[in-house]
Amino acid sequence: MSHLLEVENLTRVFGGLTAVNDLSFHVDRGEVVGLIGPNGAGKTTCFNLLSGAIRPTSGAIRFKGQDVVGKKSHQMCKLGLTRTFQVVQPFPDVSALENIMIGAFVRHGSAGAAERKAREVLETVGMDHKADVLGRDLTLMELKKLEIGKGLATEPDLLLLDEVAAGLTPVEIDDILALVRKLNQDGMTFLVVEHVMKVIMNLSHRIVVLNFGSLIAEGTPGEISKNQAVLDAYLGEEEYVA
Amino acid sequence: MSRYKEFLFPVIVFALAALILPLVLSAYYMHIAILVLVWAYLATSWNILGGYAGQHSLGHGLYMGVGAYASTYLAITYGLSPWIGLIIGAILAAGLGWFVGFATFRYGLKGAYFALVTIALTEAAVYVVSNWKAMGGAAGLEVTYLGNKPWMMQFDGKLGYFLIILVMTLAAVLITQWLNGRRFGYRLVAVRENEEAAEAMGVNTLGTKINATVLSAAMTAVGGSFFAQYFTYVGPRTVFGETVSVQILLFAIIGGLGTVWGPLVGAIILVPTAEFARAELGTTFQGAHLLLYGAVLVLTMLFMPNGIVGLARDVRRKLARGPGDEPSAPLAEGGGP
Repeated sequence: MSHLLEVENLTRVFGGLTAVNDLSFHVDRGEVVGLIGPNGAGKTTCFNLLSGAIRPTSGAIRFKGQDVVGKKSHQMCKLGLTRTFQVVQPFPDVSALENIMIGAFVRHGSAGAAERKAREVLETVGMDHKADVLGRDLTLMELKKLEIGKGLATEPDLLLLDEVAAGLTPVEIDDILALVRKLNQDGMTFLVVEHVMKVIMNLSHRIVVLNFGSLIAEGTPGEISKNQAVLDAYLGEEEYVA
Repeated sequence: MSRYKEFLFPVIVFALAALILPLVLSAYYMHIAILVLVWAYLATSWNILGGYAGQHSLGHGLYMGVGAYASTYLAITYGLSPWIGLIIGAILAAGLGWFVGFATFRYGLKGAYFALVTIALTEAAVYVVSNWKAMGGAAGLEVTYLGNKPWMMQFDGKLGYFLIILVMTLAAVLITQWLNGRRFGYRLVAVRENEEAAEAMGVNTLGTKINATVLSAAMTAVGGSFFAQYFTYVGPRTVFGETVSVQILLFAIIGGLGTVWGPLVGAIILVPTAEFARAELGTTFQGAHLLLYGAVLVLTMLFMPNGIVGLARDVRRKLARGPGDEPSAPLAEGGGP
Protein backbone atom coordinates (compact mmCIF):
# COMPACT_ATOMS: atom_id res chain seq x y z
CA MET A 1 0.00 0.00 0.00
CA SER A 2 1.27 3.45 -0.82
CA HIS A 3 1.73 6.14 1.79
CA LEU A 4 -0.92 8.76 2.50
CA LEU A 5 1.59 11.55 1.97
CA GLU A 6 4.88 11.10 0.22
CA VAL A 7 7.44 13.87 -0.07
CA GLU A 8 10.39 13.27 -2.38
CA ASN A 9 13.48 15.45 -2.77
CA LEU A 10 11.43 18.54 -1.97
CA THR A 11 13.40 21.76 -2.40
CA ARG A 12 12.37 25.38 -2.10
CA VAL A 13 14.76 28.25 -2.71
CA PHE A 14 14.03 31.85 -1.75
CA GLY A 15 16.59 33.97 -3.59
CA GLY A 16 19.89 32.78 -2.17
CA LEU A 17 18.35 30.90 0.74
CA THR A 18 17.46 27.23 0.48
CA ALA A 19 14.63 27.00 3.00
CA VAL A 20 13.86 23.35 2.29
CA ASN A 21 16.63 21.22 0.86
CA ASP A 22 16.12 17.82 -0.78
CA LEU A 23 13.65 16.74 1.86
CA SER A 24 12.04 13.29 1.70
CA PHE A 25 9.65 11.72 4.19
CA HIS A 26 6.23 10.13 4.32
CA VAL A 27 3.14 9.94 6.48
CA ASP A 28 0.94 6.85 6.72
CA ARG A 29 -2.73 6.70 7.60
CA GLY A 30 -3.39 6.73 11.33
CA GLU A 31 0.00 8.15 12.24
CA VAL A 32 1.00 11.25 14.13
CA VAL A 33 4.24 12.46 12.61
CA GLY A 34 6.15 15.26 14.30
CA LEU A 35 8.13 17.76 12.30
CA ILE A 36 10.70 19.54 14.44
CA GLY A 37 13.82 21.62 14.13
CA PRO A 38 15.34 24.82 15.47
CA ASN A 39 13.96 28.21 14.42
CA GLY A 40 14.48 28.74 10.73
CA ALA A 41 14.87 25.03 9.99
CA GLY A 42 12.20 25.17 7.28
CA LYS A 43 9.19 23.71 9.09
CA THR A 44 6.76 26.44 8.16
CA THR A 45 8.03 26.55 4.57
CA CYS A 46 7.46 22.81 4.48
CA PHE A 47 3.86 23.32 5.65
CA ASN A 48 3.33 26.03 3.08
CA LEU A 49 4.61 23.71 0.36
CA LEU A 50 2.43 20.79 1.46
CA SER A 51 -0.71 22.90 1.78
CA GLY A 52 -0.22 24.49 -1.62
CA ALA A 53 0.35 28.04 -0.36
CA ILE A 54 3.68 28.14 -2.24
CA ARG A 55 5.17 25.99 -5.00
CA PRO A 56 8.31 23.94 -4.62
CA THR A 57 11.40 24.78 -6.66
CA SER A 58 11.81 21.07 -7.32
CA GLY A 59 10.78 17.71 -5.94
CA ALA A 60 7.54 15.79 -5.70
CA ILE A 61 4.60 15.72 -3.32
CA ARG A 62 2.18 12.82 -3.62
CA PHE A 63 -1.01 12.77 -1.62
CA LYS A 64 -3.23 9.65 -1.75
CA GLY A 65 -1.09 8.48 -4.66
CA GLN A 66 -1.74 11.65 -6.68
CA ASP A 67 0.87 14.20 -7.71
CA VAL A 68 -0.27 17.42 -6.07
CA VAL A 69 2.53 19.85 -6.94
CA GLY A 70 0.96 23.05 -8.28
CA LYS A 71 -2.38 22.56 -6.55
CA LYS A 72 -3.71 25.58 -4.69
CA SER A 73 -4.59 25.59 -0.98
CA HIS A 74 -8.32 25.30 -1.53
CA GLN A 75 -7.77 22.38 -3.91
CA MET A 76 -5.55 20.59 -1.39
CA CYS A 77 -8.26 21.09 1.19
CA LYS A 78 -10.81 19.49 -1.10
CA LEU A 79 -8.44 16.57 -1.72
CA GLY A 80 -8.26 16.02 2.04
CA LEU A 81 -5.19 17.87 3.25
CA THR A 82 -6.00 20.79 5.55
CA ARG A 83 -3.68 22.97 7.60
CA THR A 84 -4.10 25.06 10.71
CA PHE A 85 -2.13 28.22 11.38
CA GLN A 86 0.42 28.90 14.07
CA VAL A 87 -0.96 32.40 14.52
CA VAL A 88 -4.63 31.56 14.90
CA GLN A 89 -6.74 32.82 12.01
CA PRO A 90 -10.37 33.07 13.10
CA PHE A 91 -13.07 34.85 11.14
CA PRO A 92 -13.48 37.54 13.82
CA ASP A 93 -16.90 38.92 12.99
CA VAL A 94 -18.85 35.65 12.85
CA SER A 95 -19.71 33.14 15.57
CA ALA A 96 -17.63 30.09 16.47
CA LEU A 97 -20.29 27.92 14.86
CA GLU A 98 -20.14 29.88 11.59
CA ASN A 99 -16.34 29.82 11.67
CA ILE A 100 -16.50 26.05 11.61
CA MET A 101 -19.39 25.91 9.14
CA ILE A 102 -17.19 27.58 6.55
CA GLY A 103 -14.91 24.55 6.74
CA ALA A 104 -17.86 22.14 6.69
CA PHE A 105 -19.08 23.65 3.41
CA VAL A 106 -16.20 21.88 1.67
CA ARG A 107 -18.10 18.59 1.92
CA HIS A 108 -21.66 19.84 2.46
CA GLY A 109 -23.58 21.98 0.00
CA SER A 110 -26.49 23.02 2.18
CA ALA A 111 -26.33 25.26 5.23
CA GLY A 112 -28.36 22.76 7.24
CA ALA A 113 -25.92 19.90 6.65
CA ALA A 114 -22.92 22.20 7.24
CA GLU A 115 -24.42 23.37 10.52
CA ARG A 116 -25.03 19.81 11.71
CA LYS A 117 -21.43 18.92 10.90
CA ALA A 118 -20.17 22.10 12.60
CA ARG A 119 -22.12 21.36 15.79
CA GLU A 120 -20.67 17.86 15.84
CA VAL A 121 -17.16 19.31 15.47
CA LEU A 122 -17.78 21.93 18.17
CA GLU A 123 -18.69 19.11 20.53
CA THR A 124 -15.59 17.12 19.55
CA VAL A 125 -13.29 20.02 20.38
CA GLY A 126 -15.28 20.88 23.51
CA MET A 127 -16.58 24.23 22.31
CA ASP A 128 -20.30 23.51 22.04
CA HIS A 129 -21.12 26.01 24.79
CA LYS A 130 -19.31 28.73 22.81
CA ALA A 131 -21.19 28.20 19.54
CA ASP A 132 -22.66 31.70 19.42
CA VAL A 133 -19.61 33.64 20.61
CA LEU A 134 -17.93 35.79 17.97
CA GLY A 135 -14.48 34.80 16.77
CA ARG A 136 -12.99 37.99 18.15
CA ASP A 137 -14.38 37.37 21.64
CA LEU A 138 -12.74 33.95 22.15
CA THR A 139 -9.71 33.35 24.38
CA LEU A 140 -6.46 32.06 22.93
CA MET A 141 -7.17 28.53 24.18
CA GLU A 142 -10.61 28.64 22.59
CA LEU A 143 -9.12 30.02 19.38
CA LYS A 144 -6.65 27.14 19.27
CA LYS A 145 -9.49 24.66 19.64
CA LEU A 146 -11.47 26.59 17.05
CA GLU A 147 -8.49 26.38 14.73
CA ILE A 148 -8.42 22.58 15.08
CA GLY A 149 -12.20 22.51 14.70
CA LYS A 150 -12.06 24.52 11.48
CA GLY A 151 -9.58 22.01 10.13
CA LEU A 152 -11.63 19.00 11.27
CA ALA A 153 -14.77 20.44 9.70
CA THR A 154 -13.23 20.06 6.25
CA GLU A 155 -13.10 16.29 6.99
CA PRO A 156 -9.47 15.88 5.99
CA ASP A 157 -7.48 12.67 5.60
CA LEU A 158 -4.44 14.51 6.89
CA LEU A 159 -4.49 17.49 9.22
CA LEU A 160 -1.38 19.66 9.47
CA LEU A 161 -1.12 21.29 12.89
CA ASP A 162 1.18 24.29 13.09
CA GLU A 163 2.26 24.87 16.70
CA VAL A 164 -1.08 24.34 18.39
CA ALA A 165 0.54 24.49 21.80
CA ALA A 166 2.38 27.78 21.29
CA GLY A 167 1.40 30.39 23.84
CA LEU A 168 -0.64 28.05 26.03
CA THR A 169 -0.18 27.27 29.72
CA PRO A 170 0.94 23.75 30.75
CA VAL A 171 -2.60 22.84 31.79
CA GLU A 172 -4.00 24.03 28.48
CA ILE A 173 -1.30 22.12 26.65
CA ASP A 174 -2.40 18.90 28.38
CA ASP A 175 -5.92 19.67 27.25
CA ILE A 176 -4.87 20.09 23.60
CA LEU A 177 -2.69 16.97 23.82
CA ALA A 178 -5.62 14.93 25.02
CA LEU A 179 -7.77 16.29 22.20
CA VAL A 180 -5.26 15.48 19.46
CA ARG A 181 -4.60 12.04 20.88
CA LYS A 182 -8.29 11.27 21.00
CA LEU A 183 -8.79 12.45 17.42
CA ASN A 184 -5.89 10.23 16.37
CA GLN A 185 -7.41 7.23 18.16
CA ASP A 186 -10.59 7.93 16.22
CA GLY A 187 -8.58 7.62 13.02
CA MET A 188 -7.32 11.10 12.12
CA THR A 189 -3.81 11.37 10.71
CA PHE A 190 -1.65 14.31 11.80
CA LEU A 191 1.52 16.02 10.75
CA VAL A 192 2.52 18.27 13.63
CA VAL A 193 4.99 21.13 13.77
CA GLU A 194 5.72 21.99 17.35
CA HIS A 195 8.25 23.79 19.51
CA VAL A 196 6.97 22.45 22.80
CA MET A 197 8.92 19.20 23.22
CA LYS A 198 6.47 17.72 25.67
CA VAL A 199 3.84 17.84 22.96
CA ILE A 200 5.92 16.37 20.20
CA MET A 201 7.42 13.59 22.33
CA ASN A 202 4.06 12.63 23.76
CA LEU A 203 2.06 12.65 20.57
CA SER A 204 4.27 11.51 17.75
CA HIS A 205 4.67 7.97 16.50
CA ARG A 206 7.56 9.16 14.39
CA ILE A 207 9.54 12.38 14.28
CA VAL A 208 11.22 14.04 11.33
CA VAL A 209 13.97 16.47 12.29
CA LEU A 210 15.01 19.37 10.05
CA ASN A 211 17.98 21.65 10.33
CA PHE A 212 18.82 24.34 7.78
CA GLY A 213 16.17 22.90 5.50
CA SER A 214 17.59 19.38 5.40
CA LEU A 215 16.51 16.19 7.09
CA ILE A 216 19.00 15.29 9.79
CA ALA A 217 17.16 12.46 11.54
CA GLU A 218 14.00 10.42 11.50
CA GLY A 219 12.70 7.92 14.04
CA THR A 220 10.58 7.25 17.10
CA PRO A 221 10.61 9.83 19.92
CA GLY A 222 12.89 7.48 21.87
CA GLU A 223 15.40 7.25 19.03
CA ILE A 224 15.28 10.97 18.31
CA SER A 225 15.95 11.96 21.91
CA LYS A 226 19.15 9.86 21.81
CA ASN A 227 20.28 10.88 18.32
CA GLN A 228 23.55 12.79 18.58
CA ALA A 229 22.96 14.93 15.48
CA VAL A 230 19.62 16.03 16.83
CA LEU A 231 21.02 16.72 20.27
CA ASP A 232 23.74 18.84 18.74
CA ALA A 233 21.37 20.76 16.52
CA TYR A 234 18.49 21.24 18.80
CA LEU A 235 17.80 19.24 21.90
CA GLY A 236 21.19 20.12 23.32
CA GLU A 237 19.53 23.24 24.60
CA GLU A 238 18.41 21.55 27.81
CA GLU A 239 15.74 24.06 28.70
CA TYR A 240 13.70 23.01 25.69
CA VAL A 241 13.37 19.46 26.98
CA ALA A 242 10.35 19.29 29.19
CA MET B 1 -39.59 26.92 8.36
CA SER B 2 -37.79 29.87 9.87
CA ARG B 3 -36.08 30.41 6.52
CA TYR B 4 -39.44 31.11 4.90
CA LYS B 5 -40.26 33.58 7.63
CA GLU B 6 -37.08 35.47 6.85
CA PHE B 7 -38.28 35.89 3.29
CA LEU B 8 -41.84 36.66 4.31
CA PHE B 9 -40.87 39.66 6.41
CA PRO B 10 -39.35 41.71 3.55
CA VAL B 11 -42.25 40.77 1.27
CA ILE B 12 -44.77 42.05 3.81
CA VAL B 13 -42.84 45.26 4.48
CA PHE B 14 -42.56 46.04 0.78
CA ALA B 15 -46.18 45.09 0.07
CA LEU B 16 -47.33 47.49 2.79
CA ALA B 17 -45.12 50.22 1.33
CA ALA B 18 -46.61 49.58 -2.11
CA LEU B 19 -50.16 49.83 -0.75
CA ILE B 20 -49.81 52.73 1.62
CA LEU B 21 -47.18 55.13 0.28
CA PRO B 22 -48.89 55.98 -3.05
CA LEU B 23 -52.05 56.89 -1.11
CA VAL B 24 -50.43 59.22 1.37
CA LEU B 25 -47.57 60.77 -0.58
CA SER B 26 -47.84 63.73 -2.92
CA ALA B 27 -46.08 63.62 -6.30
CA TYR B 28 -43.03 65.37 -4.84
CA TYR B 29 -42.74 62.92 -1.98
CA MET B 30 -43.29 60.03 -4.38
CA HIS B 31 -40.30 61.36 -6.29
CA ILE B 32 -38.25 61.29 -3.10
CA ALA B 33 -39.49 57.79 -2.30
CA ILE B 34 -38.33 56.68 -5.76
CA LEU B 35 -34.93 58.29 -5.18
CA VAL B 36 -34.64 56.51 -1.85
CA LEU B 37 -35.40 53.18 -3.50
CA VAL B 38 -33.03 53.78 -6.45
CA TRP B 39 -30.13 54.41 -4.10
CA ALA B 40 -31.22 51.62 -1.77
CA TYR B 41 -31.29 49.24 -4.71
CA LEU B 42 -27.87 50.30 -5.99
CA ALA B 43 -26.34 50.20 -2.51
CA THR B 44 -27.83 46.76 -1.85
CA SER B 45 -26.29 45.52 -5.10
CA TRP B 46 -22.93 47.06 -4.18
CA ASN B 47 -23.18 45.53 -0.71
CA ILE B 48 -22.82 41.98 -2.03
CA LEU B 49 -19.30 42.71 -3.23
CA GLY B 50 -18.41 45.58 -0.90
CA GLY B 51 -20.17 44.59 2.31
CA TYR B 52 -20.29 40.80 2.24
CA ALA B 53 -17.11 40.00 0.33
CA GLY B 54 -15.35 43.08 1.76
CA GLN B 55 -14.02 44.26 -1.61
CA HIS B 56 -14.68 48.00 -1.54
CA SER B 57 -15.32 48.88 -5.15
CA LEU B 58 -15.31 52.63 -5.69
CA GLY B 59 -16.21 52.16 -9.31
CA HIS B 60 -19.73 50.78 -9.41
CA GLY B 61 -20.69 53.73 -11.58
CA LEU B 62 -19.06 51.67 -14.32
CA TYR B 63 -21.74 48.97 -14.13
CA MET B 64 -24.53 51.44 -13.53
CA GLY B 65 -23.43 53.33 -16.63
CA VAL B 66 -23.23 50.21 -18.77
CA GLY B 67 -26.80 49.31 -17.81
CA ALA B 68 -28.10 52.84 -18.34
CA TYR B 69 -26.40 53.34 -21.69
CA ALA B 70 -27.15 49.86 -23.02
CA SER B 71 -30.91 50.01 -22.46
CA THR B 72 -31.19 53.67 -23.50
CA TYR B 73 -29.11 53.29 -26.65
CA LEU B 74 -31.06 50.19 -27.72
CA ALA B 75 -34.38 51.91 -27.02
CA ILE B 76 -33.49 55.06 -28.98
CA THR B 77 -31.78 53.36 -31.89
CA TYR B 78 -33.81 50.18 -32.34
CA GLY B 79 -36.93 50.95 -30.35
CA LEU B 80 -36.08 47.97 -28.15
CA SER B 81 -38.02 47.77 -24.91
CA PRO B 82 -35.93 48.76 -21.89
CA TRP B 83 -37.24 45.61 -20.25
CA ILE B 84 -35.12 43.66 -22.73
CA GLY B 85 -32.43 46.35 -22.76
CA LEU B 86 -31.88 46.00 -19.04
CA ILE B 87 -31.25 42.29 -19.44
CA ILE B 88 -28.71 42.99 -22.17
CA GLY B 89 -27.15 45.70 -19.99
CA ALA B 90 -26.95 43.27 -17.07
CA ILE B 91 -25.23 40.67 -19.25
CA LEU B 92 -22.73 43.24 -20.54
CA ALA B 93 -22.05 44.45 -17.00
CA ALA B 94 -21.64 40.87 -15.80
CA GLY B 95 -19.03 40.29 -18.51
CA LEU B 96 -17.28 43.51 -17.62
CA GLY B 97 -17.48 42.59 -13.92
CA TRP B 98 -15.86 39.25 -14.68
CA PHE B 99 -13.06 41.01 -16.54
CA VAL B 100 -12.51 43.60 -13.77
CA GLY B 101 -12.65 40.90 -11.10
CA PHE B 102 -10.24 38.65 -12.92
CA ALA B 103 -7.83 41.45 -13.84
CA THR B 104 -7.63 42.77 -10.28
CA PHE B 105 -8.04 39.75 -7.99
CA ARG B 106 -5.97 37.39 -10.14
CA TYR B 107 -3.01 39.64 -9.46
CA GLY B 108 -3.76 39.91 -5.79
CA LEU B 109 -5.04 43.49 -5.65
CA LYS B 110 -6.60 44.20 -2.27
CA GLY B 111 -8.02 47.00 -0.16
CA ALA B 112 -7.06 50.48 -1.28
CA TYR B 113 -5.26 49.22 -4.39
CA PHE B 114 -8.38 47.44 -5.59
CA ALA B 115 -10.46 50.54 -4.82
CA LEU B 116 -8.08 52.77 -6.77
CA VAL B 117 -8.23 50.57 -9.86
CA THR B 118 -12.03 50.61 -9.78
CA ILE B 119 -12.05 54.43 -9.57
CA ALA B 120 -9.64 54.58 -12.49
CA LEU B 121 -11.84 52.28 -14.58
CA THR B 122 -15.06 54.20 -14.01
CA GLU B 123 -13.27 57.51 -14.67
CA ALA B 124 -11.85 56.05 -17.85
CA ALA B 125 -15.37 55.06 -18.85
CA VAL B 126 -16.46 58.71 -18.49
CA TYR B 127 -13.91 59.73 -21.11
CA VAL B 128 -14.62 56.81 -23.41
CA VAL B 129 -18.33 57.57 -23.46
CA SER B 130 -17.76 61.34 -23.73
CA ASN B 131 -15.90 60.74 -26.97
CA TRP B 132 -18.20 58.08 -28.37
CA LYS B 133 -20.47 59.66 -30.96
CA ALA B 134 -23.04 56.87 -31.04
CA MET B 135 -23.44 57.27 -27.28
CA GLY B 136 -24.17 60.96 -27.60
CA GLY B 137 -20.71 62.07 -26.55
CA ALA B 138 -20.50 64.53 -23.68
CA ALA B 139 -24.14 65.54 -24.21
CA GLY B 140 -25.38 62.07 -23.35
CA LEU B 141 -28.55 60.34 -24.51
CA GLU B 142 -32.11 61.47 -24.02
CA VAL B 143 -34.95 58.99 -23.69
CA THR B 144 -37.80 60.05 -26.00
CA TYR B 145 -40.99 60.25 -23.99
CA LEU B 146 -43.70 58.23 -25.73
CA GLY B 147 -46.51 58.65 -23.23
CA ASN B 148 -47.89 56.03 -20.90
CA LYS B 149 -46.26 52.90 -22.33
CA PRO B 150 -45.49 50.29 -19.66
CA TRP B 151 -43.82 48.07 -22.27
CA MET B 152 -41.33 50.90 -22.90
CA MET B 153 -41.06 51.45 -19.13
CA GLN B 154 -42.69 54.86 -19.41
CA PHE B 155 -45.54 56.03 -17.26
CA ASP B 156 -47.77 59.00 -16.69
CA GLY B 157 -47.17 59.86 -13.10
CA LYS B 158 -44.86 58.38 -10.52
CA LEU B 159 -46.78 55.27 -9.56
CA GLY B 160 -45.45 53.00 -12.31
CA TYR B 161 -41.84 53.93 -11.61
CA PHE B 162 -42.39 53.62 -7.90
CA LEU B 163 -43.76 50.10 -8.18
CA ILE B 164 -40.94 48.95 -10.48
CA ILE B 165 -38.13 50.21 -8.27
CA LEU B 166 -39.96 48.90 -5.20
CA VAL B 167 -40.06 45.40 -6.68
CA MET B 168 -36.42 45.69 -7.78
CA THR B 169 -35.33 46.70 -4.29
CA LEU B 170 -37.38 43.90 -2.77
CA ALA B 171 -35.68 41.48 -5.16
CA ALA B 172 -32.23 42.80 -4.18
CA VAL B 173 -33.08 42.44 -0.49
CA LEU B 174 -34.37 38.91 -1.05
CA ILE B 175 -31.24 37.94 -3.01
CA THR B 176 -29.10 39.23 -0.13
CA GLN B 177 -31.28 37.43 2.39
CA TRP B 178 -30.98 34.25 0.35
CA LEU B 179 -27.18 34.56 0.11
CA ASN B 180 -27.04 35.05 3.85
CA GLY B 181 -28.01 31.47 4.52
CA ARG B 182 -26.13 29.78 1.70
CA ARG B 183 -22.69 28.39 1.11
CA PHE B 184 -21.82 31.21 -1.31
CA GLY B 185 -22.84 33.83 1.26
CA TYR B 186 -20.73 32.20 3.98
CA ARG B 187 -17.81 32.08 1.58
CA LEU B 188 -18.15 35.79 0.81
CA VAL B 189 -17.94 36.52 4.52
CA ALA B 190 -14.98 34.15 4.93
CA VAL B 191 -13.13 36.00 2.17
CA ARG B 192 -13.84 39.33 3.85
CA GLU B 193 -12.88 38.18 7.32
CA ASN B 194 -9.68 36.31 6.54
CA GLU B 195 -8.68 35.40 3.04
CA GLU B 196 -5.73 33.20 3.93
CA ALA B 197 -7.78 31.12 6.36
CA ALA B 198 -10.63 30.90 3.86
CA GLU B 199 -8.32 29.56 1.18
CA ALA B 200 -6.90 26.98 3.62
CA MET B 201 -10.44 25.88 4.44
CA GLY B 202 -11.27 24.99 0.88
CA VAL B 203 -12.70 28.31 -0.28
CA ASN B 204 -11.68 29.22 -3.83
CA THR B 205 -11.14 32.85 -2.88
CA LEU B 206 -10.37 34.06 -6.40
CA GLY B 207 -13.49 32.42 -7.85
CA THR B 208 -15.63 33.64 -4.97
CA LYS B 209 -14.52 37.25 -5.43
CA ILE B 210 -15.03 37.12 -9.20
CA ASN B 211 -18.51 35.62 -8.80
CA ALA B 212 -19.42 38.31 -6.28
CA THR B 213 -18.25 40.99 -8.72
CA VAL B 214 -20.27 39.50 -11.55
CA LEU B 215 -23.47 39.27 -9.50
CA SER B 216 -23.03 42.74 -8.01
CA ALA B 217 -22.23 44.27 -11.42
CA ALA B 218 -25.24 42.72 -13.15
CA MET B 219 -27.61 43.89 -10.41
CA THR B 220 -26.12 47.40 -10.46
CA ALA B 221 -26.58 47.61 -14.23
CA VAL B 222 -30.31 46.92 -13.90
CA GLY B 223 -30.46 49.85 -11.48
CA GLY B 224 -28.72 51.97 -14.10
CA SER B 225 -31.33 51.07 -16.72
CA PHE B 226 -34.12 52.11 -14.39
CA PHE B 227 -32.26 55.30 -13.48
CA ALA B 228 -32.08 56.28 -17.16
CA GLN B 229 -35.75 55.53 -17.76
CA TYR B 230 -36.87 57.50 -14.73
CA PHE B 231 -34.78 60.59 -15.39
CA THR B 232 -35.18 60.15 -19.19
CA TYR B 233 -31.56 61.15 -19.59
CA VAL B 234 -28.11 59.59 -19.29
CA GLY B 235 -24.88 61.58 -19.42
CA PRO B 236 -21.32 60.41 -18.83
CA ARG B 237 -21.14 62.06 -15.39
CA THR B 238 -24.65 61.20 -14.26
CA VAL B 239 -24.07 57.46 -14.35
CA PHE B 240 -20.34 56.83 -14.75
CA GLY B 241 -17.68 58.49 -12.69
CA GLU B 242 -16.67 58.54 -9.08
CA THR B 243 -19.41 60.87 -7.77
CA VAL B 244 -22.11 58.30 -8.40
CA SER B 245 -19.84 55.47 -7.35
CA VAL B 246 -19.13 57.06 -4.00
CA GLN B 247 -22.81 57.82 -3.38
CA ILE B 248 -23.67 54.18 -3.96
CA LEU B 249 -21.40 52.95 -1.21
CA LEU B 250 -22.20 55.83 1.13
CA PHE B 251 -25.64 54.46 1.92
CA ALA B 252 -24.30 50.95 2.45
CA ILE B 253 -21.59 52.15 4.83
CA ILE B 254 -23.89 54.37 6.84
CA GLY B 255 -26.68 51.79 6.97
CA GLY B 256 -24.39 48.88 7.75
CA LEU B 257 -21.92 46.99 5.58
CA GLY B 258 -22.63 43.33 5.05
CA THR B 259 -26.17 43.49 6.44
CA VAL B 260 -29.37 42.75 4.53
CA TRP B 261 -31.20 45.93 5.54
CA GLY B 262 -28.30 48.34 5.99
CA PRO B 263 -28.24 49.89 2.49
CA LEU B 264 -32.01 50.44 2.54
CA VAL B 265 -31.94 51.97 6.02
CA GLY B 266 -29.02 54.18 5.01
CA ALA B 267 -30.87 55.43 1.94
CA ILE B 268 -34.14 55.98 3.85
CA ILE B 269 -32.37 58.20 6.35
CA LEU B 270 -29.94 60.01 4.12
CA VAL B 271 -31.65 60.58 0.77
CA PRO B 272 -34.62 62.61 2.07
CA THR B 273 -32.36 64.62 4.37
CA ALA B 274 -30.06 65.46 1.49
CA GLU B 275 -33.00 66.26 -0.78
CA PHE B 276 -34.50 68.68 1.73
CA ALA B 277 -31.12 70.28 2.25
CA ARG B 278 -30.89 70.72 -1.47
CA ALA B 279 -34.43 72.09 -1.75
CA GLU B 280 -34.16 74.45 1.20
CA LEU B 281 -30.58 75.62 0.84
CA GLY B 282 -30.05 75.00 -2.86
CA THR B 283 -30.05 78.70 -3.70
CA THR B 284 -28.37 80.12 -0.61
CA PHE B 285 -25.95 77.33 0.18
CA GLN B 286 -25.25 75.25 -2.84
CA GLY B 287 -23.73 71.84 -2.25
CA ALA B 288 -25.07 71.68 1.31
CA HIS B 289 -26.22 68.11 0.72
CA LEU B 290 -22.70 67.06 -0.26
CA LEU B 291 -21.39 68.61 2.93
CA LEU B 292 -24.05 66.70 4.80
CA TYR B 293 -23.00 63.42 3.17
CA GLY B 294 -19.41 64.06 4.16
CA ALA B 295 -20.26 64.95 7.75
CA VAL B 296 -22.54 61.95 8.25
CA LEU B 297 -19.95 59.64 6.74
CA VAL B 298 -17.20 60.90 9.05
CA LEU B 299 -19.45 60.65 12.10
CA THR B 300 -20.51 57.14 11.13
CA MET B 301 -16.93 55.99 10.70
CA LEU B 302 -16.01 57.48 14.07
CA PHE B 303 -18.91 56.41 16.23
CA MET B 304 -20.53 53.42 14.58
CA PRO B 305 -18.20 51.76 12.11
CA ASN B 306 -20.72 48.95 11.64
CA GLY B 307 -23.39 51.39 10.50
CA ILE B 308 -26.90 51.81 11.83
CA VAL B 309 -28.01 48.23 11.35
CA GLY B 310 -24.65 46.96 12.61
CA LEU B 311 -25.00 49.06 15.74
CA ALA B 312 -28.49 47.70 16.35
CA ARG B 313 -27.16 44.16 15.92
CA ASP B 314 -24.30 44.75 18.38
CA VAL B 315 -26.66 46.24 20.96
CA ARG B 316 -29.00 43.28 20.59
CA ARG B 317 -26.09 40.88 21.08
CA LYS B 318 -24.98 42.70 24.21
CA LEU B 319 -28.49 42.64 25.63
CA ALA B 320 -28.88 38.95 24.84
CA ARG B 321 -25.67 38.19 26.67
CA GLY B 322 -26.88 40.09 29.69
CA PRO B 323 -24.90 42.26 32.12
CA GLY B 324 -22.03 40.82 34.12
CA ASP B 325 -21.42 38.16 31.50
CA GLU B 326 -18.68 39.91 29.59
CA PRO B 327 -17.01 38.05 26.76
CA SER B 328 -13.66 36.53 27.52
CA ALA B 329 -10.73 38.85 26.90
CA PRO B 330 -10.24 39.09 23.18
CA LEU B 331 -6.91 37.87 21.93
CA ALA B 332 -6.69 38.46 18.25
CA GLU B 333 -3.32 36.87 17.83
CA GLY B 334 -1.60 34.21 19.84
CA GLY B 335 1.84 34.48 18.34
CA GLY B 336 4.21 31.65 19.15
CA PRO B 337 7.83 32.08 20.12
